[in-house]
Amino acid sequence: MSTLTLPLMGFQNSFITTVIAEIRESFRAKWFFLYTLIFGGAIVMLLALGITESQVLGFTGLSRLLITYIQLCVAILPVFILITTVRTVVGDRESNVLEYILSLPISLGAYYWGKLTARFIIVFIPVLLALSGAVFWGAVKNLTIPWSIVGYYSLMLASLAWAFLGTGMFISTLVRKQEWALGLAFLVWLTLLLFIDVILIGVLLQNQLMEEVIIGIALLNPLQVFRTGAILLFDPELSLLGPASYVILDNMGYTGFLFYSILYPLGLGWGFSWLGYKIFKTGDLV
Amino acid sequence: MIKLSNINKSFAQHQVLDELELELKIGDRIALIGQNGAGKTTLIRTLLGQYTAEGQLSMFGLNPRQQRIEVLQKIGFVPQHSPPIQMSVGELVDFSAALSLTPMKDEVYALAGKLEFDIEEQAGKPFFKLSGGMKQKLLIALALSKRPEFLIMDEPAANLDPAGRKAFFDELSLLPQNTTMLLSSHRVDELLPFINRIIEMDCGRIVHDQQLADEIKAGKSLDCKIQITGEGEAIRKTLDSWKFSNGSNPGLYSGKLAEADRTKFFIEIAQFSKQIKELKMEAE
Repeated sequence: MSTLTLPLMGFQNSFITTVIAEIRESFRAKWFFLYTLIFGGAIVMLLALGITESQVLGFTGLSRLLITYIQLCVAILPVFILITTVRTVVGDRESNVLEYILSLPISLGAYYWGKLTARFIIVFIPVLLALSGAVFWGAVKNLTIPWSIVGYYSLMLASLAWAFLGTGMFISTLVRKQEWALGLAFLVWLTLLLFIDVILIGVLLQNQLMEEVIIGIALLNPLQVFRTGAILLFDPELSLLGPASYVILDNMGYTGFLFYSILYPLGLGWGFSWLGYKIFKTGDLV
Repeated sequence: MIKLSNINKSFAQHQVLDELELELKIGDRIALIGQNGAGKTTLIRTLLGQYTAEGQLSMFGLNPRQQRIEVLQKIGFVPQHSPPIQMSVGELVDFSAALSLTPMKDEVYALAGKLEFDIEEQAGKPFFKLSGGMKQKLLIALALSKRPEFLIMDEPAANLDPAGRKAFFDELSLLPQNTTMLLSSHRVDELLPFINRIIEMDCGRIVHDQQLADEIKAGKSLDCKIQITGEGEAIRKTLDSWKFSNGSNPGLYSGKLAEADRTKFFIEIAQFSKQIKELKMEAE
């Protein structure tokens, strides 16, 4: 066997093995049950409460349910992903699991990207299942199913999940203590949460900041981008959101912003996960 | 086969490996000894490519950091502390087997059985829920079943019961002669039948490197004189047990030592190092 084919085969083999092991492990983990319960349970609860039959701000049926689900995702999904992901590498390192696993012939890339891929699958499956459940319920109840909205929304959720998974893995390789990782995760989440539209309005009004600065901050915040993009699907004029979103829409247009709201968080996730990988493979592994 | 040249490693200004020079040949069976903080674990982690270090390190002619898969395919490793791996026993066996180029699954089951650990019975149990001894047995079975060219074990028998220890040492003795071993242990007396070299580390350096086989085979003996300070009842008792005697000078003990017992003697008196003023050994 040539020296070139061995590492390549090693990578594929190690990658698949790591993904399978991580998925199996996550299925048993308490956080996964809690996570599934929250996202699956939320849809069940919204349906049980008859939210599809209510009408708020002009939305009804499945659109009304999805709008509520978006608020839930903005609040919970990022923090859940961050808290569970930041412990991935640093937790394995602290408990000496990494010392043993990396004594096996596993490629560093396969270990890192395998963990990340498995986490993405694990994080996205319950959300996707919950959405599918809602669509199924809508079909049973003969409600109009907004297919394009469901499709775009799924892509946005995937993109948002990837952004926070990447950020979580980056933090996980950056610090040497789990406490630090958790602290940083909360800090990141709180900062992003503070800089969504509502706070931006306050900043804009109180400090008389330049419009470009406010828009720039809003466009850099994946939470704000997701929130604006998701609401845009239902409310093309963004009459429900604050001034920052309105100006963004004015500058980028409907389609432009939809693309941006999918591609930006995705790019951010890739960027941070790549940085995390660089840190991971160049320093001491354990 | 394995060569470390001028290896330096430090953590936050603290030098852990200090200009370390070491060469291991095929078939070397080494007991790695030294007090806590001597640098043993750092050396092992450097060999496994887990630590970056200054200097030149060659494992089988390869760099363990840049060609880690090729290097680690040849290495079997048992850590000092069994990690709390979340995988089930069956999954861990599958995971290790999937990564190894050598077909090893049947071998793991057979070896674990010899160590009195039934994998089939425990297959669904999470690894971290096993007892310390069971974890150790499984990790030993996984390491040996790879048929490694280089076996690294950090306190491998620490958690084993007497039957498990015996089975483990039996398996160790059955390994091919060309298997190189690096065994870190506080109970070197147990390892003596399997080793042919002792390396002692202190402050990140190798302070003692002794080949055992030839001298032991020759049945040589040594004249030994040891000057101790203070009362030291414990060291006096130890020296008495080695049939050392003191004459007019109550602190000066002398006696004869078989070359084969040299290491065992060193290990026993090492705990009294602060009370030893002078130690002389001369071949007869």
